[in-house]
Amino acid sequence: MTSTRVLLSDDHSFMRRGLRTILEADERFEVCGEAGDGSETLELATQLVPDILIMDISMSPPNGLEVAAELREALPQTKILMITMHDSEEMLRAAAAVGVSGYLLKSDAEELLLVALEHLESGERFVSPAFDPNLAQQLFT
Amino acid sequence: MSALRVLIADDHDVVRKGLKMLIEEHAGWQVCGEARSGREAVEKCGLLNPDVLVIDVSMPDLNGLEATKQLRKACPRTEVLVITHHDSDEIAAEVMEAGARGYVLKSDSDTDLVRAVEALSHHKPFFTSRVTEMFLANRGSRVTDPVEMMRGRLTAREREILQLIAEGKTAKEVATILGIATKTSDTHRTNIMRKLDVHSVAELVRYAIRNKVVEP
Repeated sequence: MTSTRVLLSDDHSFMRRGLRTILEADERFEVCGEAGDGSETLELATQLVPDILIMDISMSPPNGLEVAAELREALPQTKILMITMHDSEEMLRAAAAVGVSGYLLKSDAEELLLVALEHLESGERFVSPAFDPNLAQQLFT
Repeated sequence: MSALRVLIADDHDVVRKGLKMLIEEHAGWQVCGEARSGREAVEKCGLLNPDVLVIDVSMPDLNGLEATKQLRKACPRTEVLVITHHDSDEIAAEVMEAGARGYVLKSDSDTDLVRAVEALSHHKPFFTSRVTEMFLANRGSRVTDPVEMMRGRLTAREREILQLIAEGKTAKEVATILGIATKTSDTHRTNIMRKLDVHSVAELVRYAIRNKVVEP
């Protein structure tokens, strides 16, 4: 079985390192690259065509939402998991609007990262349990 | 030679995990403890007496800056390395004033962090080149903001209480957390409001957010 190829995008190197550590401990996933800002993410995603892109929202321009919008067009087969400190409903709506498949908070990342990735792999959506499940269902169907 | 003992304080589990990996990859360094808030960092420093504390600025309960100030007195032999995502000149100056010896941005590289811990372990200060550039670019142009001057007049205790109030704690909760009387906590709040010339808790919260005492 080939592993799922994941691209990491976050401007904080220690965050990337933490995510990488979690993924490397699980043979189902392989980190194929790391990007530190929006334009690098666009470049690497286009070049590597990962199965899943794990991306922060707050990044030096273009931000994560803009990158997601652009990649939805260019790489429809790459699924995007947003991982952010923003726990507001407006940010969740904005992410749903640009077509991401999952939305995870940095505070629940360690516990739920693999769970979220499993959902995305099997074609389902995943939204952090910090949000109202009804709203999540309505936005991510 | 005994191992270099490092305490890590960040409210995000994943970031702590990343920091821990980075530090433990280095021969002779060990993570002796982890903390999720500034208050926990202060407590654990007292108990574990680490050589270096790596601490995030933005944390609940007691932020990294206030924790650093308390530690300078309580644990003078622990060197403090502050990590933050705020790359502002103002924060950098405050970090230094609080008594930290090193400052690394979260966007700086893994190598910068390792070099910073290394420098601090020899009791030498460390700034990444990006931080140094930021200082030089802004030197001489720092604005003397009256609100900032006012802020300097708050005592460490008052800044600590300001953060707790801004996080939505009541006078009673503040008193319990700090182990003081509710009446004393009320008096502190009155003094803070007088010094900052604000007249409601809402204004106090706004002040705290604007000055990055808490995150919005």
